[in-house]
Amino acid sequence: MTNGATSVVETINLKKTYMLGKVPVDALRGVNLRVESGDFLAILGPSGSGKSTLLNLIGALDKPTQGKMLIEGVDVSTLGDNQLTDLRRRVGFVFQFFNLIPRFTARENVELSMAIAGLSKTDRRRRAEDLLETVGLKERMNHKPTELSGGEQQRVAIARALANNPKFLLMDEPTGNIDSKTANEIMGLIKRLNEEKNVTIIMVTHDQRLAGLSKRVLQMFDGLIVQETVN
Amino acid sequence: MKAQDIMSYSFSAIKLRKLRSGLTTLGVIIGIAAIVALLSITQGLQNTITVQLQTGLATDTLIVSVGGGFGGGFGPGGADSGFKLLVNDTQTIDQIENVETSIAIIQRVGHVESGAGERLATIVGVDFAKYASIYSSTFVAESGGIPLNPANEKVVVGKRVSDPWRNGTILFKVDDNVEIIWTNATARPPRNETYTGSVAAVLKEVGGFGIGGPSDSSVYIPISQAQSFFRTDECSLIIVKLKDSEKATIDSVSEAITDAFSNEVSVISSTAVLNILSSVFSIIQLFLAGIAAISLLVAGIGIMNIMIVSLMERTREIGILKALGMKGRTVLLVFLCESVIIGLIGAVIGIASGWGLANVVAVVFRGGGGLGFGNQTSQAGAFGSMTITPVLTPMVFLGALVFGVGVSVVFALYPAWRASKLKPVEALRYE
Repeated sequence: MTNGATSVVETINLKKTYMLGKVPVDALRGVNLRVESGDFLAILGPSGSGKSTLLNLIGALDKPTQGKMLIEGVDVSTLGDNQLTDLRRRVGFVFQFFNLIPRFTARENVELSMAIAGLSKTDRRRRAEDLLETVGLKERMNHKPTELSGGEQQRVAIARALANNPKFLLMDEPTGNIDSKTANEIMGLIKRLNEEKNVTIIMVTHDQRLAGLSKRVLQMFDGLIVQETVN
Repeated sequence: MKAQDIMSYSFSAIKLRKLRSGLTTLGVIIGIAAIVALLSITQGLQNTITVQLQTGLATDTLIVSVGGGFGGGFGPGGADSGFKLLVNDTQTIDQIENVETSIAIIQRVGHVESGAGERLATIVGVDFAKYASIYSSTFVAESGGIPLNPANEKVVVGKRVSDPWRNGTILFKVDDNVEIIWTNATARPPRNETYTGSVAAVLKEVGGFGIGGPSDSSVYIPISQAQSFFRTDECSLIIVKLKDSEKATIDSVSEAITDAFSNEVSVISSTAVLNILSSVFSIIQLFLAGIAAISLLVAGIGIMNIMIVSLMERTREIGILKALGMKGRTVLLVFLCESVIIGLIGAVIGIASGWGLANVVAVVFRGGGGLGFGNQTSQAGAFGSMTITPVLTPMVFLGALVFGVGVSVVFALYPAWRASKLKPVEALRYE
């Protein structure tokens, strides 16, 4: 697993405490994790176990309270706000509730992340079409999210996450909000991305079947990784 | 993110909330339109009055009236002081160096009557020959002839006295008899005095007014007749014609006259009047612009309100943008850009509609016969017919544009700043 090269993600004794009203909550209590390029991680655990917090930290959406978070060897805590946003552009985030911009079409949603990264209009248009083809939505690319099914919306979200050639994909319950039949398609897509395109995937899920497709399964409980299984 | 992309993103957000954005823009439009309309009308009015003053009040004349006030120059009476300016005081003035000639004017407000009707008019007693020589371009007959050595009963009437309504109803024409009625308020009990004359000439239209100069709503009678009719030797003003219109001459003669009457008179030159007028207009403009600016301020608060509501609604969207790697500064720009677009559209439409409004007002004024001052029922004298041509100076144009956009941006700063400071995790969790 470790081959001497720097890991894509490495956390050392990662802790995160946030305030819930006036009560401090220890969401992460010392997480040690290494993710190598091409990995496919599934993180399982009951709600409140710190899965999403861990994902947000890896995605640079939040800052750790203590411990180290290295992305490709760079300590995230040393980065300023602007460098953090730059980092976010190199992370593909897929959310449970898709989080597409409702007034934009599928293609425009995919283009948006590239526009933010500063790509030219022609470049991002072509790439958006390619990506939507990859996720099998080329025919529906001019539809707005409200005109798409849950599964289709999630595929748009995945295409958007892939737009800026991310170092890895972070998925927060990608099938949590869609029916099981569509979930199968999404799972197939994710598996294919990992196997064929060698996309590194870190995924939080409740779905045992989805976890079964991954290469490594981490079990979290009460802010700690309590078990790791390699499939 | 490229500027063009920021703009199209902002624009898509505006388009999404058409009604709300439209109403916000309307606020800016009204504010800017009010400012532009008020300023361009006052500017036009100032120009009109300045031009008319310049024609009505020759630059080589001075006006002497009793008292230390500017107001004394306008009407009969003057300031309430024991000092009286007499008709033969012109002899004193004529002896001052650089004075070519001077004439006394007695004026009262009264009625003129003919068989066809009556109207209010200023009755002016003046030496026809000298008056015509000083105001050679305005004291000119349109019909008949100004009698230079008038028989006692000859009168000259202004254009608006002869033809008050511009609809063909002529009150007086040459050779008609005129009854001039003046209420003698100092008599006990007050009584009406009547003077009968015949029209020797109708003046051509002067258009506007001049202090001491000919006016469209005046009736002129020989000075000697005025003295006996009004039973006074006191004159309302003395008009002094100078040998030239140099500032040095104006100043030295003004001083000499003031000294000659031991500071009991005020001397007004057209230059001074124009200066006072222009400073009065600056104050009026500032005042009106201030009032209009209040409405723009209200519009600004509207923008802020809308932006804050929009910020709440779009908290999640901002979270998404940040998660996709949009910098806080770019989020700020997106919001500011929305307000710039609203401000710019509002300002442009506002300037156009303000300009349109100013022109409509100007046309209404024109159609209504001057400022209403020239009508039969209003006070005769001061204003004749006035044509206001609204003026939109480049300063006002640019100022309105900058102000409109500026207000929008200033009031959007706070909401935009708040949006830019949203934490992505919290924003994404927002329902």
